[in-house]
Amino acid sequence: MNEILDFAPPLVLAALGGVLSERAGVVNIGLEGMMRFGAFAAAAGAIYSGSAWFGLLCGALAGAASAAVHALLSLRFRADQVVSGVALNLVALGLVTYLLQSVFGSAGVSPPSPSLPRDRFGHTAMAYAALIVPLIFYFWLSRTAAGLRVRAVGEHPRAAATLGVRVLPLRAWCVLGSGVLAGLGGATLSVGILGQFDSRMPAGQGFMALAAVVFGKWTPLGAAGAAFFFAAADALQRQLSFSLHAADLRLEGVFLALPYVLTLLVLALGIGRTRAPAADGVPYEPEGR
Amino acid sequence: MRNRLFTAARDPLWSAVAAVLAALLVSFVAIALSGRDPLAGFGNLASGALAGPGPLGETAIKSAVLILTGLSVAVAFTVGLFNIGAEGQLIWGGLAAAVVGRFDNPLALPLSLAAAAIAGGAWGFIPGALKVRRGVHEVISTILLNWVAIHLVHGWLVAGPLSAATGSASISVAGTEPIAHAAWLPRLIPGSRLDLGFPLALAIAAAVWFLLTRTRRGFEWRAVGAGAEAAHASGIPSGRRVCEAMALSGALAGLAGAFLILGTEHKYPGVFRTGYGFDGIAVALVGGGTAAGTAIAGLFFGAVRAGATRLQLSGIHPSFAELIQGIAVLLVAAPRIFLPLWKRLRRSAAEPAAAAPPIPTVQP
Repeated sequence: MNEILDFAPPLVLAALGGVLSERAGVVNIGLEGMMRFGAFAAAAGAIYSGSAWFGLLCGALAGAASAAVHALLSLRFRADQVVSGVALNLVALGLVTYLLQSVFGSAGVSPPSPSLPRDRFGHTAMAYAALIVPLIFYFWLSRTAAGLRVRAVGEHPRAAATLGVRVLPLRAWCVLGSGVLAGLGGATLSVGILGQFDSRMPAGQGFMALAAVVFGKWTPLGAAGAAFFFAAADALQRQLSFSLHAADLRLEGVFLALPYVLTLLVLALGIGRTRAPAADGVPYEPEGR
Repeated sequence: MRNRLFTAARDPLWSAVAAVLAALLVSFVAIALSGRDPLAGFGNLASGALAGPGPLGETAIKSAVLILTGLSVAVAFTVGLFNIGAEGQLIWGGLAAAVVGRFDNPLALPLSLAAAAIAGGAWGFIPGALKVRRGVHEVISTILLNWVAIHLVHGWLVAGPLSAATGSASISVAGTEPIAHAAWLPRLIPGSRLDLGFPLALAIAAAVWFLLTRTRRGFEWRAVGAGAEAAHASGIPSGRRVCEAMALSGALAGLAGAFLILGTEHKYPGVFRTGYGFDGIAVALVGGGTAAGTAIAGLFFGAVRAGATRLQLSGIHPSFAELIQGIAVLLVAAPRIFLPLWKRLRRSAAEPAAAAPPIPTVQP
């Protein structure tokens, strides 16, 4: 249980980022890259300022900055949203390794950074954030006027526009928010869990978050629940692999593959009506331009 | 008939060239900003890619793999699908080649290649079938399938049942047993690692070009890519065509995996994170989704990758190649960035002609 609360927050936050962006109609394959920028910036910020909280802020800002590139390309320049996200991941892979080496002189890991404080139960603030933020996000998306507008531009942007919603700026804000959440998720990996940046981060967690978005049917609580479930599967795998090692079965990979197989099955068998927001990935061209 | 991905580019060729040049410029500035000598860095990049048979051989083997994964993505583009799963297909192809290549016989090489193509093709067929039968978006399913492949192969098969190591827990990096010598891709030139893979890749690129542009099947694939419903209405079985193209796409990526195993690794290594599958997306996009463009882009990025290993002489990590590649894709993705530039170029090209006639009339 403790282990789940420790490892779930990056996944939960990134998955919420995915929900925010996709509910507003912008596919976000770039979660992985945004997490990577966030993780690196958080470690760097924490090391240079001496404060893990400042690092967290840097992580959120770096996530937002990389999301701004995605928003600019896909909304302003009408690039294909999938291509733009893929490109962002490629850039994150190369640029962060390059920065890691230029700043810290090592292509493997950063020096140890200050870590977020832990309470007497051994949890960081991010563990509580992972429990609370999904609820706030759920109420915001389903019960407030702003949330309604976000859902409207994701389902039927033209109709939203006729009601006076400015579609592209709203979508841009959602993509930026998505970057903040993914960046915070990445920051949790470096200054929250490991206490340094590792060049392999986030090691596919961004893609797993994407799977959680789909598994959770594009809803905040569903995606967060899926993220917790995946983290639990991961924790279980860690525990089991100890006992399975003895038998030399080495089934870790099977357990690690499980969340992805389950998500595929849910999609393929259409368990419980899985539907993406109607205008997800569809570029919006304002009229009269 | 052009795909949704390339509709934004009025002139894909010049957009790609401009994007690559801009990416090089950005990386030039990045090197300068980090306090190193960019000219020396690019000199090392060029010499690592082109100076002599050794570097040229490195460029060739990397290009061969990039051309194949690029073609994989490009073939899926023709039926309008975005195959992000080349990485997973490559992994299964590599594993199949490593397994079949262990049996020593005169036909070991062709058999290993065929096994890789079948394994990759099967993994590519799944998202095609899921798309056609169940309406599962291929971007999501291929991403998921990548991770299924990565974890099953690296976390289980190569570490456990197929591992060469027995007993001790620390040998999970060992990988599988080495393949038979008969299954190696033969080296062509002494003093260079250039192997049969490179000419094979070029031949495959030519075959894909022929298939896509000169055969009925290729025409039908492109028709499905341009509009599945219209194609279906005119009698093309669009669902089956999508599955076929995805299977070919997977087979090409599987062959790329085989080239890596049979050409340079000679076994399936315990740690095998190539990223070539994702690079294929970049190659296909910069190549404009055509076979010829993909081959040229593959050659270029192969050279950048090979040259990047010598960037270390300038104190720059080889991952710099990925940065150049990523920026190029960002810019190719959004050709509208260059629209103002095109407009200005066109205007300046048109100006002399437009400006010339009025001048005589000014004379009284």
